[in-house]
Amino acid sequence: MTRDQISYVIFFAAIVATGLILKNYFYFQLITIIGINTLLALALNMLLGYAGQISLGHAAFYGIGAYTSGILTATYGFNPWMALPCALMLAIVIAVVVGFPTLKLTGYYLGMGTLGFGMIVHIVFREWSSVTGGASGFMGIPPLEIGHVSFFEPRNYFFLVWFVVLLSFILCKRLINSRTGRALKAIHDSENAAKAVGINTRNLKLKIFVFSAALSALAGFLYAHMISFISPESFSFLVSVKIVTMVVIGGMASIWGSLLGASLLTMLPEWLHAFSDFEMVVYGLILMVVMIITPQGLTRGIIEIYERSRSAKAKR
Amino acid sequence: MTQELLQYLFSGITNGAIYAVIAIGFSMLYSSTELINFAHGEFVMLGALSLVTLWGGFGLPLPMAFILSVFGVALTGLVFERLAIRTVRKPDHIVLIIITVGASIFLRGVSMLIWGKDAYSLPAFTDHPPLDLIGARLLPQSIWIVFIALVCAILLHLFFKKTLTGKAMEATAISKKAAWLTGIPSEKMILLAFFFSTGMGAVAGIIIAPITMVSYDMGTMLGLKGFCAAMLGGLGSLWGSILGGLLLGILESFGVGIFSSSLKDAIAFLVLLLILYVRPGGIIMAKDVKRF
Amino acid sequence: MELLKFMNDQDQQKQNGNILLKIESVSKAFGGVQALWEVSFDLQAGLIKGLIGPNGAGKTTLFNLVTGIFRPDNGQIIFDNQNIQGRQVHDLVNLGIARTFQNVEIFGSMSVAENVMVGQHVRTRSGFWGAITRVPWMVREENNIWNNAMEILSFVGIEDLAHRKSSELPFGWQRLLEIARALASNPKVLLLDEPAAGLNATETRQLGKLLKKIQKKGITLLLVEHDMSLTMEICDRIVVLDQGKKLAEGTPREIQNNASVMAAYLGMGT
Repeated sequence: MTRDQISYVIFFAAIVATGLILKNYFYFQLITIIGINTLLALALNMLLGYAGQISLGHAAFYGIGAYTSGILTATYGFNPWMALPCALMLAIVIAVVVGFPTLKLTGYYLGMGTLGFGMIVHIVFREWSSVTGGASGFMGIPPLEIGHVSFFEPRNYFFLVWFVVLLSFILCKRLINSRTGRALKAIHDSENAAKAVGINTRNLKLKIFVFSAALSALAGFLYAHMISFISPESFSFLVSVKIVTMVVIGGMASIWGSLLGASLLTMLPEWLHAFSDFEMVVYGLILMVVMIITPQGLTRGIIEIYERSRSAKAKR
Repeated sequence: MTQELLQYLFSGITNGAIYAVIAIGFSMLYSSTELINFAHGEFVMLGALSLVTLWGGFGLPLPMAFILSVFGVALTGLVFERLAIRTVRKPDHIVLIIITVGASIFLRGVSMLIWGKDAYSLPAFTDHPPLDLIGARLLPQSIWIVFIALVCAILLHLFFKKTLTGKAMEATAISKKAAWLTGIPSEKMILLAFFFSTGMGAVAGIIIAPITMVSYDMGTMLGLKGFCAAMLGGLGSLWGSILGGLLLGILESFGVGIFSSSLKDAIAFLVLLLILYVRPGGIIMAKDVKRF
Repeated sequence: MELLKFMNDQDQQKQNGNILLKIESVSKAFGGVQALWEVSFDLQAGLIKGLIGPNGAGKTTLFNLVTGIFRPDNGQIIFDNQNIQGRQVHDLVNLGIARTFQNVEIFGSMSVAENVMVGQHVRTRSGFWGAITRVPWMVREENNIWNNAMEILSFVGIEDLAHRKSSELPFGWQRLLEIARALASNPKVLLLDEPAAGLNATETRQLGKLLKKIQKKGITLLLVEHDMSLTMEICDRIVVLDQGKKLAEGTPREIQNNASVMAAYLGMGT
């Protein structure tokens, strides 16, 4: 077995063990949310970490997945499993339309372009009340079921989400260790050189943007059918920032870093509740301090500090 | 009909002048440091809340409260540069985006602790009755806003054209290396840029305070719109920012008046996307002439 | 000696003497500056051609025109009997034009081997679905990519470094790696932008040998150089540019004895 396969088996075992041992429904819900956030972080990591293209509007695709499926099932009575491909398709179409002009931009301009897109989608969720329920939110999204298995049961939903996460990990890892994945990393390192070895950088950037959007929409679908109530605030600019933060803190260009980043950022508010009014102060401080001290993300940062201390000891 | 249009125009120019002042802050910082400060809107909020305390709370005379607020906020900007920007080891734009976003959340959190979650309102700078112009109402505060924005723009223009420090800043903006070679201390210039930029943010917050609800979370949206204005006119250019601000304000007010108020926030971002796609240098093509 | 799979010598050597790249009265201006004015020359298959000239002569501009970064204002560039004007950079690689950069642009986060693997992008197929499904032909292709990469690395002489992170290599080796990466696309012509820049004398001599070796494989080379020593040693023919115009063309010996060339070089002392 390769190292990757071993890690998948361990991951699988960890999911099953957690699912069987855990009793408390609150924790089930929290860990399921971590799973959904891991998907989001993974989606953005493919774009930001590997291809080096920032998006400050990824919550938009998350929201498009959630709202499309929510509206189709609750308002139009679709079966959720029929609504899912519709939601993914819509996210893909929008990603193509928006990505085509936006991905020409670089640096801050790309950040601002994606931010503007995210804001507009958020405003649509908030203002198009006849369809989306407006600022007060959208209710009555049905739970998922397959045959007789109802995913209303938190344990089942936990398994569903985490198996999707495991599958996505495998897919992304395969994608990265391929011709396409190398080309993505090439774009990140030097776009000029990538063109010079014959990579159609525009095309590839668009493809990975679309892939990332679809994966985010999938996360949105899972979120909507878990919570059954969605509101625009779950897909605001701050959420986009949170996704970027998960990727960066967990570690750019690291699949397992997405898991770490999503876990930390999802748990953080839970821990910060103890600070109550200090929550924002502490959150902002953590973002700044992590970025100043280990700009390459916590995973790499910790490894580096460990290696440095080891080599320092070795010298002594 | 005419008076309605005139009314839209007045409110558009008023808001536009505020966007312009915020946009100037973005532009100044960008032209000398190539940094987009995502926390800029929070300095606008700090300016407004400082005025609430100094003028409304302590009852200082308005001009004094005004100046103290601006200086206080600008000093905060310097501290911000020293602690959060200067210390960055890898000044790559993704890292800087996250740091300034972090700073924005941090500043909002601190303000919430100091001023609470409630919104404050302030009276206009002077209590003249509104003027009547062909049936459209013009608030005295609107005149103050436009007047102060203009004064700021002219003072900055004179500063960059007439003083040695201003010219040094302009030189740094054009080429950091060349400026450094001629002995201009670029580090000081960057500090100065932060000082002015955040100071302008505070001015925007102060002049808008009487016509809006002042609270700890007012800054983010204002900041983003100020950025849209800067992009529209031409990021990095003084007069471009002013043009962009006024244009955005007028577009918004007519959009809201003619179509629907639900459009209000979307207009700025639609304009932003359009300008990024079609003409990233802004109306005046500031990309080639990155200077004040 | 075993024939290298990645280069199809026979095909290309048959064409030796044919004109592979034709530059026809090409002009390019930037703002008010005329960077190139009606420059014409041919590149015969199988030869090493040098493009020299003082600073600002238009060498880099010409290089960027051939590699698709800029479009000429006037004139035509014909490669392999096709007009390549307006083609995208990545398209040209597909046609068989490979390049290196003056300041060495390798993919720093990747290993040396991976750099050469990316280099094979245009002559491999597998895409998104192939990567995800790992079908047998895709796995085979992946193995081929790896084997080819190792072969090319040993051709260039840096196979021992295959697993090193490329950004950690010394500059001289990075330059070799960049050439290896360019070879990986199986080019007809290889354009080198000041390959000797930043190299010491020994490294430059080794580079010269490598370029000769590449020529023997049937690949045509166009070499932009500021420095004359390498050019004079390995080039079959040399084109001299000065202030955007072609000043002279000929064998290294002819160029060395050309009075106007010497004047252009001596005149640049100011």
